[in-house]
Amino acid sequence: MPVPVSQMWTVATYVLRQKLAGRKRYPLVVMLEVLFRCNLACAGCGKIQYPAHVLKRQLTPEECFKAVEESGAPIVNIPGGEPLLHPQIGEIVEGLIARGKYVYLCTNALLLKEKLHLFQPSKYLTFTIHLDGEREHHDFSVAREGTYEKAIEAIRLLLEKGFRVTTNSTLFDGADPKSVRRFMDTVMDMGVEGMMISPGYSYEKAPDQSHFLAQDGARELYRQILSNRSKKWRFNQSPLFLEFLMGRRDYECTPWGIPTYNIFGWQKPCYLLQDGYADSFQELIDETEWANYGHGSGNPKCQNCMVHSGFEPSAVNDTFGSLGGLVATARAMFNRYEDPAALEALEKSNVVPAHARNPLVHIKPQESFQ
Amino acid sequence: MTSGDVKPIANAGERASLQGWIPELASEEEIREALEKAFDYRGDVTITRKDGTVVEGYIFDRKPGKTLRESLVRVLPKDSNQRQSIPYSEIAALAFSGRDTAAGISFHAWIRRYWEKRAAGESYDLAPETHE
Repeated sequence: MPVPVSQMWTVATYVLRQKLAGRKRYPLVVMLEVLFRCNLACAGCGKIQYPAHVLKRQLTPEECFKAVEESGAPIVNIPGGEPLLHPQIGEIVEGLIARGKYVYLCTNALLLKEKLHLFQPSKYLTFTIHLDGEREHHDFSVAREGTYEKAIEAIRLLLEKGFRVTTNSTLFDGADPKSVRRFMDTVMDMGVEGMMISPGYSYEKAPDQSHFLAQDGARELYRQILSNRSKKWRFNQSPLFLEFLMGRRDYECTPWGIPTYNIFGWQKPCYLLQDGYADSFQELIDETEWANYGHGSGNPKCQNCMVHSGFEPSAVNDTFGSLGGLVATARAMFNRYEDPAALEALEKSNVVPAHARNPLVHIKPQESFQ
Repeated sequence: MTSGDVKPIANAGERASLQGWIPELASEEEIREALEKAFDYRGDVTITRKDGTVVEGYIFDRKPGKTLRESLVRVLPKDSNQRQSIPYSEIAALAFSGRDTAAGISFHAWIRRYWEKRAAGESYDLAPETHE
């Protein structure tokens, strides 16, 4: 099942309306972090390091609706923490759908079976299941055995019930491109609507700092993964953003394109960096020093970032910015990116991921996890 | 240098924790530096105002201004939903009193644990913070 035409039409007309109105900075998607607490402790996550009293708090449904309406964005992405831990998540999703928003509910799926009765299948609701790769890779990535199986079970259940389902995968340094391609075959064979992929970003507070991808490594990895594509692969992402990941395009960041709202307010400047908070969306737009962020700013925190929250809006803007952008997007949708050099590099690649090599001999004693 | 040559940023996850630190706030420079660190800190702090009142909570925002009077931190108190904005000029003392929730966690620690547990035939699961 592809992305509904109504969703594509909603997004396209929304972007064109912003352009016709001469609006320089507008949001495409709101990242609505309804809470920070989570039932996993992934090594790459920098979202959950807070005191207990912060982790216990959550947005009310009214706060969610107000923020989303204030922004005007047509799509709402609900990440976390784990949003299914929110006791009113059903009410929040229902209220957003009633407002005509396309909702992507991002979950690790551990609580899906017991919470599924809160939701009804709708073209406005997509479950985005966190899956970072094949079984061993995913379980290592989220630091919990058995999580892959639960996510796969949840995908099957959701599809059986008629829900829209996508996967969301974050790839870190050491990802095995052959394994990633096998994984993509697997999830497409299951019947998901599409896949979403993005390079990991080094959150300042993320425990796993050494495995985030630098830009050159990311481009080579994505070139090997996304060239010579299987016909069955579909992505729930801008085709030009995927070209950006493969190093075929260069974009500057559009941090206001996918802004973040959470219990502290509107996060400056983006989903990944925390440089303070604004109390309203307008204040975020008006008072953030946007020139201080992005590759061209010289800000060291931005130099390695290729994450969708900053660059996918740039790609969408490119699509609707000119006739050339529209044509490039149309071509990209049908392009399998045949690339003999990338295929050769893929075949020669012999990546041994972190979960498959024992490095204890190289490691100096450090503080341990719990 | 092309953008593709950029190397990874510093290993922030492994830096020394500021937990327990009580900075000197004698000069304007010390005050600004300490409050910037407090904003970056992933634990609660305790602020004592010059009028003697005390607030313990999480600093989620700071707005540096030209003067200390125009600069402020925004705090989410530990025991209340009422956010407080406190001008730098009103702060008499600052303590990094809460546990640093980002300290001591590193990829090396994680992978060492992962392999130790696997070698022992045990579960390598990590549990999230408890919220009680």
